[in-house]
Amino acid sequence: MAVAQGAPPRGALISFKIPRGRGVSLTLYIIRRILWLVPVLFFVITITFVLMHLAPGSPWDREGKQLSAAVVRNLNAKYGLSDPFLVQYLRYLVNVVHFDFGLSFQYEDQPVSALILRSWPPTAVIGALAFVMIVIFGIGIGVVAALRQNTWVDYAVVGFSTIGASTPAFVLGIILIIIFSVSLYRITGGNFSLPTGGFALDQHLIMPVVTLATLPIAFIARLTRASTLEVLRQDYIRTAWAKGLRERLVVTKHVLKNSLIPVVSALGPTFAVLITGSVIVESVFAIPGIGRAFVVAVSSRDYPMILATTILFSVIVALANLVVDLLYTVIDPRVRLG
Amino acid sequence: MAAAAAVSLEQIDWENPEQIGLWQDAWQRFRRNPIAVGGLIFVCLLVLDALLAPLLVAVHVIADPLKQDVANSYAGFSLQHPLGTDYLGRDLMSRVMFGARISLTIGLTVQVIYLLIGGTIGLVSGYLGGRVDNLLMRFVDIWYAFPDLLFLLVVVSIFQPSLFVIFGAIGIIGWVDLARLIRGQVLSLKEKEFVEGARAAGSGPSKIILRHLLPNTLGPIIVSLTFGIPRAIFLEATLSYLGVGIPPPTPSWGIMISDGNQAIFAYPHQVLVPALALAITMLSFSFIGDGLRDAIDPRMRR
Amino acid sequence: MDVSIGRFRWLRVPAVVTVIGLLVAACGTSTSSTSNLAKDQTLRLNNNTEPNSLDPGQEQYSYEGSIGASISEALLKIKPDLSDAAPATAASYSVSTDGLTWTFKIRSNAKWSDGKPVTGADFVYAWQRILDPRLAASYADPFFDGTIAGGANYLNLDPSKPADVAKIPAFLSGLGLSAPDASTFVVKLQAPSPFFKWIASLWMSAPVRKDVVDQYGSDKWATSPTSLITNGQYKVSEWVSKDHITLVPNTNYWGGQPTVTKIINYMITDDNQAYAKYLNGELDEVTVPLANTQLVKGDPKLSKEIKFVPQLTLFWMDFNTRKAPFNNKDARLAFSKAVDRNALVTNVLQQRSTAASYFIPKGMNGYRPDLGTTQAFDAAAAKTLLTSAVGDPSKITIDFLIRNSTANKQIGEFLAAQLQTNLGVKVNQIVIDSKTVTTRLRAHNYQLYVGGWGADYPDDQDWFDIWMTGSGNVFGGWSNPAYDALVKQADTTADATKRQSLYDQAQKILIDEAGGGFLYQRNYMYLVKPYVQGLTTTAQDFTNVGDWFWGKVSLASH
Repeated sequence: MAVAQGAPPRGALISFKIPRGRGVSLTLYIIRRILWLVPVLFFVITITFVLMHLAPGSPWDREGKQLSAAVVRNLNAKYGLSDPFLVQYLRYLVNVVHFDFGLSFQYEDQPVSALILRSWPPTAVIGALAFVMIVIFGIGIGVVAALRQNTWVDYAVVGFSTIGASTPAFVLGIILIIIFSVSLYRITGGNFSLPTGGFALDQHLIMPVVTLATLPIAFIARLTRASTLEVLRQDYIRTAWAKGLRERLVVTKHVLKNSLIPVVSALGPTFAVLITGSVIVESVFAIPGIGRAFVVAVSSRDYPMILATTILFSVIVALANLVVDLLYTVIDPRVRLG
Repeated sequence: MAAAAAVSLEQIDWENPEQIGLWQDAWQRFRRNPIAVGGLIFVCLLVLDALLAPLLVAVHVIADPLKQDVANSYAGFSLQHPLGTDYLGRDLMSRVMFGARISLTIGLTVQVIYLLIGGTIGLVSGYLGGRVDNLLMRFVDIWYAFPDLLFLLVVVSIFQPSLFVIFGAIGIIGWVDLARLIRGQVLSLKEKEFVEGARAAGSGPSKIILRHLLPNTLGPIIVSLTFGIPRAIFLEATLSYLGVGIPPPTPSWGIMISDGNQAIFAYPHQVLVPALALAITMLSFSFIGDGLRDAIDPRMRR
Repeated sequence: MDVSIGRFRWLRVPAVVTVIGLLVAACGTSTSSTSNLAKDQTLRLNNNTEPNSLDPGQEQYSYEGSIGASISEALLKIKPDLSDAAPATAASYSVSTDGLTWTFKIRSNAKWSDGKPVTGADFVYAWQRILDPRLAASYADPFFDGTIAGGANYLNLDPSKPADVAKIPAFLSGLGLSAPDASTFVVKLQAPSPFFKWIASLWMSAPVRKDVVDQYGSDKWATSPTSLITNGQYKVSEWVSKDHITLVPNTNYWGGQPTVTKIINYMITDDNQAYAKYLNGELDEVTVPLANTQLVKGDPKLSKEIKFVPQLTLFWMDFNTRKAPFNNKDARLAFSKAVDRNALVTNVLQQRSTAASYFIPKGMNGYRPDLGTTQAFDAAAAKTLLTSAVGDPSKITIDFLIRNSTANKQIGEFLAAQLQTNLGVKVNQIVIDSKTVTTRLRAHNYQLYVGGWGADYPDDQDWFDIWMTGSGNVFGGWSNPAYDALVKQADTTADATKRQSLYDQAQKILIDEAGGGFLYQRNYMYLVKPYVQGLTTTAQDFTNVGDWFWGKVSLASH
């Protein structure tokens, strides 16, 4: 069988060389992808704008006592909501180009960008930590389970991953709080326990990160296992065993890179979701993050906040997908992009 | 396998080798996997339960899940209520059994939608590559960044919050993961030799996609679908929690879990009962999924 | 004997010491011995939701009042038993004989947190600002434009129209507000308003400093501790968005320094999280999650920490009288009689609320439980009444709008089941998000809804006005001219007995015609750590029991 021109021979070390002459050069590709952000963002903003104005209810509807019509009229005037839809839309686009994302409706007159800059760091820190855990443990135990298929190790992994996947985050979170905060506090007479919630760069991070990471670890572990099993059955792997190569060598040089494609596909969106926050984990652990802020913004129809947060999410998602696509070429040099 | 090994060389008819189709062969191998079969049995029981639950209520075998008895709220396990009662005195066991109907339907229907939309886009995008891939993936980017909650709010308020609306909405939002997963697989697979071979033999693109690429991507797809089922059920619970979920008084496991969470300090069985039902269902599906993948894989070594 | 001379002189000191000691022992209760105080007088509370703003002119939610009432002080302040409004920033006030002019004398030692004295001009500025249409103050209508002379034109000025904007300065200076000298504030009213003292005790009516607003901007001055200059007993020292707001004493406050030197208000929305924090000693007070009620009552330690505080909040079934069957009075009455309120409060609400088939809750002057017999639970009578009014109940389907919180859903499910079982009607439970519910209510696109009211202040006027024709706070459209006339008259009657009798007649009409199907009065059930002393609860507490009077609280050592 002919080896396709320009591709490194099978079994070679993971190569960082992207074959030239096949498709587009790397830098150009990255630039093009980043430029694509502009139309993507434009569509996202437009769709979100339309959705927001389609959603029934205005920012000024209250749950208990109602604002009088005069007050509502005054509020609409103040925030430009009485202008026609097109005017509001164009005004917003112009402002966005100047990086002016407006003032929040709900937190009267605080600039939305300041609100986001304040609530994003806790979410990002917890999300990033959870992601690291997911990569290490998810892939790690998935590979081990595949190598030891049908042994107790495999069953343990399958079992754990199932239980992890079957417990929603809000249940897992409160169970952890009950065990490691409340009960531990009672048992040790108040001397030692994990903090119940809140955000700080210390042991406050443990429970939220674990809660956030459990379901994705389970999923990534199963995915890795399934994909690794497929690779393990390939002829060339059997050749490697037959040649008597050591297990560790076979795994790292041949198995891993071939089994990681689907895993990387899943990790990209996982990363994006983690960084943009989980409203459930943030509520259960009282973390002042952006996941919760976004949900509150939607419920209270805080249009500027909704738009700005959505723009942030789009950028993150687009970048994460770009990174994933680039990683495809690193893992499997034969993949052609562009 | 033992049976096959026992066939001696003389008995094999070289002129007319025994022909079995791929799926028949897969089914035979599946049947030999006790764990997978166990999972299948449980799922069949679940489906039976989902279909027969109203009948069982009519013949008084199980209690009416909607019948409230507030004087007996939050009751523990008893003969009359084997799994206790909820905050309005409704029998938990029958609610779990009825909840299976909604949860199963959501879990399965949504996966079908994902497969149809996400599968198609992923396959096409990965195989064709180039500009088509770029455009489709940018479309996926936009879809990802979509504020799902906002979309759901609008959809639910324009159409009344009913089961179909919610299923449809969840399906339309969530297919992107599967699309990217499949596309990634296809990107890597299409450079492989067997694809070149198929192309050299003159197979058209749809044949290559369906007969060669699709079966080889099945492993991760099955995992994704298997995990997608509880994910869909949780999404339904989260949506109820956020106010765009299934209207009461229909019970579903997601609703029972999110409502029961309020009482976890005082009455943990409110949450644990539906969560256990969900876990066992999830286990069963994942055993089936594993068994399926092992059975279909042509290179399966036993 | 005379201890100052002679051989008994040695008795002087010990005698004095003993007397003093006895006095201290006699006067001191178990809670006030000063040596018993904790070293760290920090109170940690859960405010639940973050205030949108702490600008008195922009406020309206209870989770804003909970902090606002501590940092801003109005002319008057409610008494804990809500019997009257006592002098606060105003040392005294007098009302003219025709009831139209209220003159407030501001304390000479009332000072802002930056040391400047509080003047009558500060009140004039604050109240004019509230009535400036450009501010879009939530409480401008009806509390201020409905009472202050010249305020009625507020509704006609549209700030998006330049012609109207030009009229605003004249409008504001034409209001009946003046400060003849620095320590006096005079208000002229449109009509005699006996309830006006309550408006003067709303924390939204607290003074605002013109120079601060001018310097930092009307939208920005209340968002940062440095610019948030207030005149209450406490002031904001730190505001970490979505996490906590810290209050420290206002050293310039006229009423002395409180014992609690720091109040930290956290913003924990999850009930379980707050409860866990209380158990772990990280919060000093917490509301008991509904499901945990029996658990807490049965716990030997926690049951002693329960504080049960009735609230001036009442809920009812809101009927859309524009659509059948609720355009029929007997049908409405039938629905009102079909709900077993005792089961609701005992089992669903875990005995924390009080069944109420009448309108005015216990604790208000207008409380008349005897009027509740018309709507009392009687399933059989209800069904007969409904059938005779509109025919076969099984042909009726009701669209029941429910906001999507767990508490609302639970009550909604119970009510739907009651109506279905006891009347035989079909009920469609429509659970959607809060804003959509409000939109539909305003568009009258519903049939049944559970509404409620919490007192802004403990005067019947605040309650009865909401059922008047044209009010924006009740959506059902029930209208009765006799009721309107009675309430209008009562609102402006000075004589207390006559006033009460007018309100009573109005309430009877409301209940008998089932403008609403009244359900229950809500109460607060909180856990408070035993070392919190001096807690003064009122029926108008905001988000924590005792949060009107933190100045009286001290923390024992623990």
